[in-house]
Amino acid sequence: MVTSIKKTFSKKYVNPVGKSVPRIDGKGIVTGQTKYAFDVGFPNMLVGKMIRSPHPHARIISIDTSRAEKFHGVRAIITAKDTDGIKFGSNEYFFPHTVDQMAIESEKVRYVGDELGAVAAVDEETALEALNLIDVQYEILPAVVDVQEAMKPGAPQIHESLNNIAVILPVNFGNPDRALKEADYVREDLFFAPAAHMAALEPHVCVGQWETFSNKVTLWASSQAPFKCREALAKTLKLDLNDVRVIKMAVGGGFGGKLEMLPMDFAACLLSKKAGGLPVKICCNREEEFLATRRKHGMIYKLKSGVKKDGTLVAITGEVIADGGAYCSYGPTVLAAAIMRIFMVYKIQHFRMTGYRVYTNTPISGAMRGFGGVQAGFAVESHMDMLAEGIGMDPIAFRLKNITTPNMVTINKMVLTTNGLRECIDKAIAASDWYNKRGKQKHLCRGIGIGIAADVMGSKMYKSHESAGSIVKVEEDGSVYLFTGAADTGQGSNTVLSQITAQELGVSYSRIRCKSGDTEITPFDTGSFASRVTFISGNATLLAARDAKKQILAIVAEELKLNADDLDIQAEEVICLKDRSVLMSFDKALELCYAFNYGKQIIGRGSYNPKTTPIDFRTGEGNVSGSYGFEAQIAEVEVNKETGEVNILKLWDAHDIGKAINPQSVEGQIEGSLAMGLGYTFMENLRFDNKGRPANGNFANYRLPRSIGTPPIECIMVETDDPNGPFGAKGMGEAALLPTAAAIANAIYDAVGIRLKELPFTPDKIIQALKEKEHLETTAGSHASR
Amino acid sequence: MIPLNINKKEYQLDLKGHETLLEVLRDQLGLTGTKTACEESECGTCTVLVKGKAVLSCITLAANCAGREITTIEGLADGEQLHPVQQAFIDHGAVQCGFCIPGMIMSSKALLDKNPEPTQEEMEYALDGNLCRCACYLKIFDAIRAAGKEMKAAKSL
Repeated sequence: MVTSIKKTFSKKYVNPVGKSVPRIDGKGIVTGQTKYAFDVGFPNMLVGKMIRSPHPHARIISIDTSRAEKFHGVRAIITAKDTDGIKFGSNEYFFPHTVDQMAIESEKVRYVGDELGAVAAVDEETALEALNLIDVQYEILPAVVDVQEAMKPGAPQIHESLNNIAVILPVNFGNPDRALKEADYVREDLFFAPAAHMAALEPHVCVGQWETFSNKVTLWASSQAPFKCREALAKTLKLDLNDVRVIKMAVGGGFGGKLEMLPMDFAACLLSKKAGGLPVKICCNREEEFLATRRKHGMIYKLKSGVKKDGTLVAITGEVIADGGAYCSYGPTVLAAAIMRIFMVYKIQHFRMTGYRVYTNTPISGAMRGFGGVQAGFAVESHMDMLAEGIGMDPIAFRLKNITTPNMVTINKMVLTTNGLRECIDKAIAASDWYNKRGKQKHLCRGIGIGIAADVMGSKMYKSHESAGSIVKVEEDGSVYLFTGAADTGQGSNTVLSQITAQELGVSYSRIRCKSGDTEITPFDTGSFASRVTFISGNATLLAARDAKKQILAIVAEELKLNADDLDIQAEEVICLKDRSVLMSFDKALELCYAFNYGKQIIGRGSYNPKTTPIDFRTGEGNVSGSYGFEAQIAEVEVNKETGEVNILKLWDAHDIGKAINPQSVEGQIEGSLAMGLGYTFMENLRFDNKGRPANGNFANYRLPRSIGTPPIECIMVETDDPNGPFGAKGMGEAALLPTAAAIANAIYDAVGIRLKELPFTPDKIIQALKEKEHLETTAGSHASR
Repeated sequence: MIPLNINKKEYQLDLKGHETLLEVLRDQLGLTGTKTACEESECGTCTVLVKGKAVLSCITLAANCAGREITTIEGLADGEQLHPVQQAFIDHGAVQCGFCIPGMIMSSKALLDKNPEPTQEEMEYALDGNLCRCACYLKIFDAIRAAGKEMKAAKSL
């Protein structure tokens, strides 16, 4: 007997790769039916709140929770004595000594907001009241908020180390001192890029449950990296990996802030254990989001470079100081990325930069979209324009002379395969009409500027491998289930991976269902970061779909007594490749697989680990990514000299994305990145008061890009068809915000002749720079007339 | 007991005076489609319609809505048929993480009910209170324009 196919599937979306198919989760989102961790609830669920330090730096003398424990409605309280005191961190593979944070601190607190424990109660009101009943005795220590002060000898010592410099990162190639001496023009510039916040709309939120009799821990999480979260939970809770299940729900934005386990995730689980297994939900309010999650590093970026008269860039040297906050988090590798991205963009033989990742008594700096590249992009691309000007060269010609090329190995051994940077620059200048505008609109206070950038797709930062796994299960009823460990955090990876599945399997996208990021069900994946998912998880998914297809074709070949190698599935039909004849429909082939005599379940599997080598931090050498993405961005601006306001007339982003699996989704990523870049250029600046607390840690005072004033954006997709990418695709979720600030800075310079080196470009800074320029010109004028 | 009409259903609720509409929707009625990201009227994520007007449910007292028609994201679709605004958000790729989307859609609907052919400026101002950190604004504008056309055509039938 043959099992009949029960479902009918629309054939609307056959061959979906390259098409803007609708989001796989679109209907759930627009109807409010999609469940986020924010929405998870259970009967008898408790509400947890973290006990946080009010002091930026203090020794914990004692904690008395007895009054709170007796308070009506309180179900559990944990402090450090309930924990094993195990430290966690995110750079343990490269920098083991930077594993420096305890889930619950036992001896010292190092910033306002640092976690000393947690309370679970029947409702939020009770939990908050219980916090007030906890008596903590502190020995207050001197604190240091400013990063440069923290580097000085004698500064308050935040961790048990020689000084507050957690990591010094020297990167040296060639002989930069000699090269600088031989250069025709040398200049030195100092840039400042401030702290900022991811400000994902869904706060950090989790529900933890510890089934105490079976010793099984489950965390419903808003996570970009559920498998990394599982690892940190298992480590700090002293459990085996498979005792812990992390279920990623729909994620309301991450942008780097949800890459790591936070103390609240740990606390929700441990509170649940203490409360006899009742689930515990902990949700940050917006103030806690700004205070005690993760933030972007503020960076001081110093550059001194030399060029020849013909425009050859001979040496780059410099120094980067990164304000790390109280713990290391991803800091050391963010710092490395802020330095080493230069190699992907510019051919350079002589190089010396030293990075310092410094502790301060402020909120913890971690990974934020761009991973150090936004701060670096602003500095480097502004500096390049100034170098070009110094030798009287057009900034485009200067870049074209020095950029990396396809199929080259950089000085630090990065292997660039396809490289569409040249094409990106050409297309962006053509689309923006660059040569008719540059330097020609000063009378209107208008200008145009460029910035270029490159990005990785994967980053070799998770132990010894960064693999992704996928399973493609083809069911009896014709539906196809994709199980991927990748974490869709809203960027649309479930959609893109489903498109890859459908394309490779040869069926309609409407057949695909996707389950992602559940550590107990889906294969392993390191997570959504480093723009890696389309490339790495995409390759794993491609292999899984191919494996499933092979299994189906083996049955068809056996039945028809043909050679399976001659068969393929394309557009819902099994075809013979020799004569392109249609042998049967996909549904018919499935009926065969699940027929009485075969009874073969179709379960394809794929695992992919890019061929990369981790950076050796003693030499700076390594090939961190299986491919590299590139882009050129151009901004056209109009400066109001009276008010200091800058109007963005238009932005162009030409982007080497390898292949657009879903063009609409690519546009969405570019537009979103540019808006985030605009935010960082003009308004985002997370400031700290003298206790290291965010001075503007709420949406009223931390301004974000809104609908008003969103400029027109033209996305130009450059398809270089990368041999290592799934269907030629590269990752692209972060690159587009790397050069935005510099493109705008360069455009402002073109418009009104002021060079801004400190972000954000607020009207007062622009007015001040215009005044200084006027003053200089008047003085120079009066000197000349004398 | 206070009567609330939510998505055309009548509820009799025992409300405390300080309870916000957001708390009642999410915590008492389990209507978790409405989100919040700040609870202090800055992000627009909690936007719902009260008598057709977009309001912030985080700063609206539930008891003050007695007898008024309240619509949340769960009440927009007509049976299995998505509202044109919902469909347009999908079609135009105006959705990324989706957390702002329920509020964004409610603000868009309030605008289009009054004015199905808004100018760029009118759209920008109508959505100024709704933050989208994924910054889908351009695609949201496309979606609103398309939905407006659809709604106007449906009206004239």
